[in-house]
Formats: sequence, C-alpha cells, structure tokens
Amino acid sequence: MQITRSGLVGLILAALAILVLPMLAGGQWLKIFTSTTAFALAAMGAGFMYARLGMVSLAQVGLMGIGGWVTLRLNHAFNLPFEANLLIGAAMTSVLGMILALPALRMRGLYLALITLMVAGGLEIIFTAYQFPNGGDGFWGVGTSFSATMRRPFLGQTDAGFLRYALVVALLGFLLIEGHRRSASGRAWALIRRSEAAALASGVNVTLYKTWAFGLSGLLAGLGGGVLAGSLGLLDASTFRASESVLLFALVVVGGARFWLGAVITAVLYRVAPGLLNNWGVDADLALVFFGAALLHAVITAPDGLAGQIFGLFSKEAAHDRA
Amino acid sequence: MRDIARNLALWAGLVTVLALALGHDKPLNVLGLFIVSGLAVGSLYALGGIGLVVLYRATGVLNLAAGAIGAVAVMVAWQLVQWGVVAPLAWALGLAFGPILATAYGRGIAPRMAWREPVVKAVASLGFAFVLLGLVSFLWSDDPRKFELPTDKAAVVILGLRVTVTRLLVVAAAILLVIGISAALDRTRVGLQMRALANNRRLSSLIGIPITRVETLAWALSGLLFGFTGLMFGDLVRLEPAVITFLVIPCVAAAIAGRLQSLPDVLMGGLAMGVIESLLTLSDTFKSVRPIAPFVIAALVLLLMSRGRRLTFAGED
Repeated sequence: MQITRSGLVGLILAALAILVLPMLAGGQWLKIFTSTTAFALAAMGAGFMYARLGMVSLAQVGLMGIGGWVTLRLNHAFNLPFEANLLIGAAMTSVLGMILALPALRMRGLYLALITLMVAGGLEIIFTAYQFPNGGDGFWGVGTSFSATMRRPFLGQTDAGFLRYALVVALLGFLLIEGHRRSASGRAWALIRRSEAAALASGVNVTLYKTWAFGLSGLLAGLGGGVLAGSLGLLDASTFRASESVLLFALVVVGGARFWLGAVITAVLYRVAPGLLNNWGVDADLALVFFGAALLHAVITAPDGLAGQIFGLFSKEAAHDRA
Repeated sequence: MRDIARNLALWAGLVTVLALALGHDKPLNVLGLFIVSGLAVGSLYALGGIGLVVLYRATGVLNLAAGAIGAVAVMVAWQLVQWGVVAPLAWALGLAFGPILATAYGRGIAPRMAWREPVVKAVASLGFAFVLLGLVSFLWSDDPRKFELPTDKAAVVILGLRVTVTRLLVVAAAILLVIGISAALDRTRVGLQMRALANNRRLSSLIGIPITRVETLAWALSGLLFGFTGLMFGDLVRLEPAVITFLVIPCVAAAIAGRLQSLPDVLMGGLAMGVIESLLTLSDTFKSVRPIAPFVIAALVLLLMSRGRRLTFAGED
C-alpha cells in the first residue's frame, strides 16, 4: 500500500496531535478541541461524498444528532461500555442515513441535496420537540431536573484522555475512507462521478454504491455525534439545527472536500473561529459574512478549497493529480 | 388542465380526511380557525416556492438565499418605519430590496458559475444567504420586534369566521400570482423565451433568445416574490432574521411538491402543507412536531415521483 506525501504529512500530524495537543491545551480548550474533532469526523463524511460523488449532504449535523441521541440513550438504558454505545450509535445513523436518502437515490444531483435539506429540517424539529436523553424515564429518557452521568471509555476518563481518544477515532475514520477510496468501491465512485452512464454501462450498480456512500458518510457523522455526547455528557437540540448542517456543508466546500486537511480546516473554522473572533472583539455574526463570501469564492475560483491551495503551495504538480 | 384538477382533488381529499380524523369532535369554528391560519402560512410557503420555481426554470439556479433576501426586505421596512418614514413608502422600499439583491446576485455572481451543475449553483447561493444573514444579524441585534401592517386590524367575516385582511391578502396574492405568472408564461413573448430557456438553454441561445435579459427579469421577479414573502412572514409569524432565512426550507418543500416546474402544483402543495401543519395542532401525538409536515410531504412526493423510474443513460441532471 502506497502512502502519498500528503497522507504521510497527515499521519505525522495526527500522531503529533494525539501526543502533544492534550498536553498543551488546558481547561475549556480541551473540550473545544474534542468537539472540533467530532465535527471534523462529520465534515469528512460530507466532504468525501461531495468530492468523490458530487453528492451534497445538507443534513450532516442532524445525522450527528442521531448518533449522539442513540449513544446517550444506550448509555442511560444499558450498562454497555462506551465503545459499544458509540459503534451502535454510528451504525444506526448509517442505516438511517441510507433510508432517508432513498427517496432521492434514483434522482440526480439537485434532488438529492434537497431531500437532505428536508431531513435536516425534520431532524431539527424532532430534536427540539423530544430533546436528548439525560437519564430520565421512558423511551425519550428526558428527565426534568437531573442528569445521569455519561460513562466514558476506559482510556478516556479525563478530558485530556478523551481528546486523545477522539483524535484516534477521527484518524480511524480518515483511514476508513482512504481504504474505501483505494478499493473497488472507490473505483466505482470515480466512475459514477465521471459519468453515471459510463458506470451503468460497465456494470456498476450505481444505486448500491451511492447508498453505500451515504451510509459511510452517516457512519462518520454518527461517530462524531457519539464522540460529542461522550465529551459533553449532555446534548442540546440547538447544536443540531438545520442551519448548522447547512453551515457545516458550506465550510466543507471552503475547507476543501478532496483532502483530509479540508475536513480539519472545516472543523476549525466551524468550531474554533467564531470563538476566536469573539475574543478579538469581532462580532460573531461577521464570521458568517466571511464564511458566505469564502463559499462563493471557493465555488467560483478555488474548487479544491483552502486545503487545495495549501497543498498547491507545496507541490509542483497540479493538486488534482494527486488527490 | 386535467393534471391540475386531479392534483387538486388529491390534495383536497388528503386535507379533508385529515381534518375529519383530527377535528371530528371539535366545534366547526375551531376547525375553521386552524384551516384559515394554515392557509395563510401555506400561501407563504407557496409564494416562496413560486419564486424559487420561476427562477429555477428560467436560470437553472435554485436560490437558497430566498429566505435571507426576504429577511433583508422586512428588516429594512421595519427600520424605516421606526425612523418615521411614511409607512407605505417604507414597505415599498423594503420590498424593493428583494429584486435589487436578487438581481445583483443574478447579474454579478451567478454568471461566474454558469457552467457548473445545478447542485453547485444551489450550494453557492447558500454563500449569499450567509452573507446576508450575517450582515442583518450584525446590524440588528436579537431584540423582540414586531412588524405590523394596518391590514392586521381590519377583518372580514366569512362563513361566521373572522379573518384578518392580511391573511386574505397573502392567500389571494398566492393564487393571483400563480394565475398571472402562468398566463404570462403561456401568452407573452418573454414567457415563451423563459419556457424555451427552461427546456434547453444551449438551443435557446443558438436561436437568438436574449438570455441575459430574460434571466435578469426572472431574478427580479423572484426577488420581488421573496421580498413579499419575507414582509408577510415578518408580519404574520415572526420577525426574526434567522427564522426567516431558513423559511426557505419549507419553501423548497413546496417547490418540490411542484416538481420544481409546475406553478399550480407548488401553490396546491404549499397550501396543503400549511393546512396540514396547522391541523396537526389538534393531535396530541403530533402537536409538538407539527412543523415537520412540509418535509414529510415533500419526501413522500419525491418517493412518488421516483416510483417506476430507472436510471438511464440519457439526460442531464
């Protein structure tokens, strides 16, 4: 298995982050970095679907909410270890993602994006109405005044340990996608991206591979949601609004969907930048203006986003030959 | 025409069944009240949906900044009223921001990505939405505000129900606009050119249709519709830029009900979505999730549309 140069840089940076980041960051920043990692997982899912298949998922943060909901629900209902909760949550998100995408899978392009927009709108309403389980009774598990504890993984009992844990999960997520990209499904996706007609003609099951991509992207979103739930112990419906899903996708395009670095940039812009601007005395609303302008700029002149431009600086060959 | 009658019967049947199922033990005027308020909200969805479809057919852009444009329009109108500008002038100026912003985007930015797929154009319009929403939230911080029209106070009594003129106005506007725009598309030269563009853009430009002019007109018309929708939503439901910006999601649901092409179907779908959403208030189970109705309906419409359809070699998006 060949390791590309950008891949090597990514692995080194990931190792450094896992080793050093939890030591350097303190207090509030540990939580911020952990949730940044969770959103990077979700951004990765949306990004690979957009870059490899041209499919737009505007419900990614909503799907994170499903992963988080299931993780919390299992945590308060059974005595399973965190890993089991996380994986079941991610798997259920993946299945649900595939089911929700079904109405539009036989249609192309725009309709697929629109159905995910409907899903995002619907999930926002469901989360707001039923809230997230906090250890209460019944199926929805919402109690009024108390909150049960969220069990964390053995290796991530402290905040620093959990950040490390989250980074490892994110790294595994990246590798999962990279593995897919280099196998039969990656080739099928590349063919579908080029031309659905050509893919059909060469016997690729277009619907199956599109559904699979949706499932994979849902899996990553579910993992992100579970990690977020593990970090915070409680989730709030306002985190998973439709507007957040839409904003995350916009930032995926800004960050650069083709590269691992794009997902990292996306998550940093999404989770860290507004807070930093606030600290510097810039109104957080202006961050939105900046993001919007960056999206327009990315669509018009920089299809590979910020990550593409950064990699372009270090490489003589055109960025799209390597990705 | 037969399609329209059939769909009308379908939507009306659906709404009647739901009204009977949920409201059979409620007094008739309570039921009527819910239907009237549902029709008003539904026509807002429909108005936005009509704007989206008119623009999409003529230019191939699904403008997801529709809600944001409406938010700017209503906030400007509100601000001008606060500054003491004569009310009708303030409304007109606010409304004018709709076509101005839409045309600015349509002429200034949209042509730079004319060659991209429709879904990329839709995503790009989100960028415009965020710019507008960011500016509006920056200029007007989160305070409770109220945008009022004199028509809120006036009311007429229809079949024993008191209906405010504003509600009548939006329902009538939605119906008249669908009839008017459909007639214009059918009868006028610009309408013909718009239909040609909707059918095949490359061939249209080859036979000498003035694409820029037709597109600009479509942008301005859709902007006007978005501005009006925003103004009316600010009056009838809530004056909050973020909420109005994401009003575009149910509007997209209404547009899907019309398969992104048929204006009468957008109108009927939008109205039905509003009424069903409002009727769900009567159900104990679904009361808390009633705004989900447009999304579920749109998903069902998409399912029906794709039934029996297969991926084929031919065709673009």
